[in-house]
Amino acid sequence: MDVVKQAFERVRLQAMKDGAEVEMLVTGGDRLSLKFQQKKLKTFNSSQSQMAGIRVLFRNQQGYAYTEKIEEEALLRAYLDALENAKIVQKPVTVEIQLVKPSSFRQMPELCLHEDIPLEKKMEVAALTESGCLDRDKRIDSVPYGSYSESKGFKRILNSNGMDQTYESGAYVSSAHPLAKDGNSSKSTGRSTIARRFADLNVDQMTIQAVADTLSLLNADKLPTGHYPVVIRSDQAQTLLAMISSYFSAKSVDEKKSLYRDKMNQKVASSLWTLTDDPLNTNGMAARPFDDEGSPSQKTVLIENGILKNFITNSEYSKKLNLPLTAHASRTPSSEMGIETSNLYVSLGSKNRQELLSKYPTTVFITHFAAGLHASFNSTTGDISMPCEGILYENGRPVKAVEQFILSMNIMDLMLQTEETGDSYMDPSSGMNCPDILITSVSLAGDKAK
Amino acid sequence: MIISDHILAKALDAALSTGADFADIFVEETYSSMLSLRNGSADQAIVGQLYGAGIRLVFGTEVVFVTCNDLSEAGLVKAALLAAQSRGSQSPLHKPNPLQLHVFDSIHTFGEKPWEMNRDRKFAWLNSFDQHSRSASSFVTQVKSSLNEKFQKVQIANSKGVIAYDERAYSRMWSEVFVEKDGKTESSSQDAGHMGTSEVFDQINLKQIAEENTKRAMTLVNADFAPAGEMPVIIANGFGGVIFHEASGHGLETTSVAKNSSVFCGKLGEKIGNDCLTAIDDGTIQNEWGSLNIDDEGNKTQKTTLIEKGVVKSYMVDEVGSRETGYAMTGSGRRQSYKFAPASRMRNTFIAPGTDKFEDMVKDIDYGLYAKTMGGGSVSTGTGDYNFQVREAYVIRNGRLEEAVKGACLIGRGIETLGKITKVSDNLTVGRGMCGSVSGSIPAGVGQPELLVSSLMVGGRVK
Repeated sequence: MDVVKQAFERVRLQAMKDGAEVEMLVTGGDRLSLKFQQKKLKTFNSSQSQMAGIRVLFRNQQGYAYTEKIEEEALLRAYLDALENAKIVQKPVTVEIQLVKPSSFRQMPELCLHEDIPLEKKMEVAALTESGCLDRDKRIDSVPYGSYSESKGFKRILNSNGMDQTYESGAYVSSAHPLAKDGNSSKSTGRSTIARRFADLNVDQMTIQAVADTLSLLNADKLPTGHYPVVIRSDQAQTLLAMISSYFSAKSVDEKKSLYRDKMNQKVASSLWTLTDDPLNTNGMAARPFDDEGSPSQKTVLIENGILKNFITNSEYSKKLNLPLTAHASRTPSSEMGIETSNLYVSLGSKNRQELLSKYPTTVFITHFAAGLHASFNSTTGDISMPCEGILYENGRPVKAVEQFILSMNIMDLMLQTEETGDSYMDPSSGMNCPDILITSVSLAGDKAK
Repeated sequence: MIISDHILAKALDAALSTGADFADIFVEETYSSMLSLRNGSADQAIVGQLYGAGIRLVFGTEVVFVTCNDLSEAGLVKAALLAAQSRGSQSPLHKPNPLQLHVFDSIHTFGEKPWEMNRDRKFAWLNSFDQHSRSASSFVTQVKSSLNEKFQKVQIANSKGVIAYDERAYSRMWSEVFVEKDGKTESSSQDAGHMGTSEVFDQINLKQIAEENTKRAMTLVNADFAPAGEMPVIIANGFGGVIFHEASGHGLETTSVAKNSSVFCGKLGEKIGNDCLTAIDDGTIQNEWGSLNIDDEGNKTQKTTLIEKGVVKSYMVDEVGSRETGYAMTGSGRRQSYKFAPASRMRNTFIAPGTDKFEDMVKDIDYGLYAKTMGGGSVSTGTGDYNFQVREAYVIRNGRLEEAVKGACLIGRGIETLGKITKVSDNLTVGRGMCGSVSGSIPAGVGQPELLVSSLMVGGRVK
């Protein structure tokens, strides 16, 4: 018996009686996480989750409610709560909001985890995330954060227009954050590997890189304050995409929060920047056959040769701003409908890392952003104030590790001043893909000025 | 109670069936509500309920943790058996002790529950925030205000025979104001709230908070960027306590100490700061943001002196941390929800008031920074490297507070920074934050009096 369908049918009929329309987003899944510490299993964490989020349209206003009890009575209660919420919302009405009608979409079976991997194999991988670091160099003191995890989940959308569509997705992930010590110097950085086939988890390579990264930063010097040419490593440059991603949202544009709101068809980055959003690329972890209101996914060019080309929309904001529907509706069962990017790709340049690092006599190679966006980025102004670590290069050769310096620049200037982009992504399975980027002159605050 | 004792007893029995030393079950039923107002109109209304259990088994220091949403006897026992069998099939070492109710007097007082209170009253507070923010300046372009309420019922049972039930309420208003002047846009946000129900907003001066928030946005829109380099820094009271939270607090949790991934490992009894530095983590303050009655492992919450006159006195210790390190538990086991295994976490962490005066601190500085309003931060406990954002600051020049500056990030190393705290004022206040770590995002109070750090790296803009 399909409990969800049966319960939704009752909710739908009640909504009809109330003169409302209803949409239900159901998510659920299983997650397993294994951590080793001092070569013994430390934690075995297995969780199941389920949640249903109800969105009600009533007199062109939207109300929301959610529950973890996937039972008819609880869902009906949630519906009534959502209806009450819709009655108190008073957003200015400019267009008629409608639920999406069902339409065909591309099936993506490759997003699911199909294998039946024995627990012993998973334990081996979890153990290797730690031992692969500890055994590689005596300076590795411990691996405080490192794990194997796997998640399998589904997303299902039902609505008053007859929509009932589902997709499943999952991933295997392994990560390691070794802590290295050498005298009074200690450093910790992390790497991860993510895949949809167990055999594609390259744990050995991941631990080699995690250890090499961490050791490379030991005994670092402070960097003298000044302006420097900077190369931001590909995996850290992803952070820049996280900073700008909300600026493409038509909702942010409408709310005047986007720095791109008046920039359509204008230059917002150097001509090296072509940025594409592609939810259909199943190599990326943000791939999906349809968005969170059920519209079939599609590829969207956001920036082309430095020129802003598109905002992303859901059905409401497509109408409201008279923009093409790009199918970027996004929400969880416990949040309201919003708009978000999926897999982002900055197109590759033609030069390799060594060429970027050799272009100027002195270059700072940033290998680690040390803060999250909540502590380093002002989205209202675009100002970045990011603590960093990295390697100082002179004439294309690494000279020394540098630490405790802060990159201070506006994200708009950083994109406009991008002088070169690298020829590869470090982590092509990520949802945000950016090659190494070279910026001509960046304010770095560190030790006493040069 | 959420579910009956005999079901929990059966589940604990199943949990110990393959030789676990200890097991506990955390059952939760949480109601959440969020209302928001944008530019004077009701913008969002969302309510919801969490309902589930987290079952934890401890074999020595190895932890097995499972969650489930089926709170029937069959569902809980099945989940407990799944957890037990994941570890093998040896025989039980012992049976759980009979459950005995842990009775305690609630420290906190609550009024109307979120689902009982009239929504017009809630929107009146939001409207007050909105109108006072807007009327404070003609440059305001947008105001968004929200009221988040959470009412959590928890039931905790463990194999030592403890069973406890508690209720926690959280109410927090948040307002973000945007201003635009001479083509430049800025924003500022400010919160108000407590661990308790929402009637508190009748007592809080929302007008003053809204006006100060708008004033800050206007200060920032007119401000230049902060200077760059090392200099003396005075950090404001209240949420300025994020410096201790990041620089030291996380490193004093057994969550990192037990893994030997804290720079505070082996530092108990060692003097690491000046006599003016005393730091406390206190879960017992009535209705304070990070307070509790019992922690998420069923233990009575405590007041823990972490550092006294510069000497490290205690870590924050949870059940597993106690097993790993041998230190007594401090009632510090916390988690976001049943979906997370508990870990040792901060409650209300603050630096105790000293005897210095803010004005005197400023007078003694030739060139430095006064960090007035802080943003978020983070730390790597293994290295002690921390950072946090300063939203609003003032340059100190020749003993005077001068121009406002923005866009600074302060960075340093935990123990090194503590040693550079040379003055602590007598003006302690505590702010509200959400702290993210291994057991999820939890309410944490952060506080301090104004304090002087003799030298700190300021990441501003190089001229």
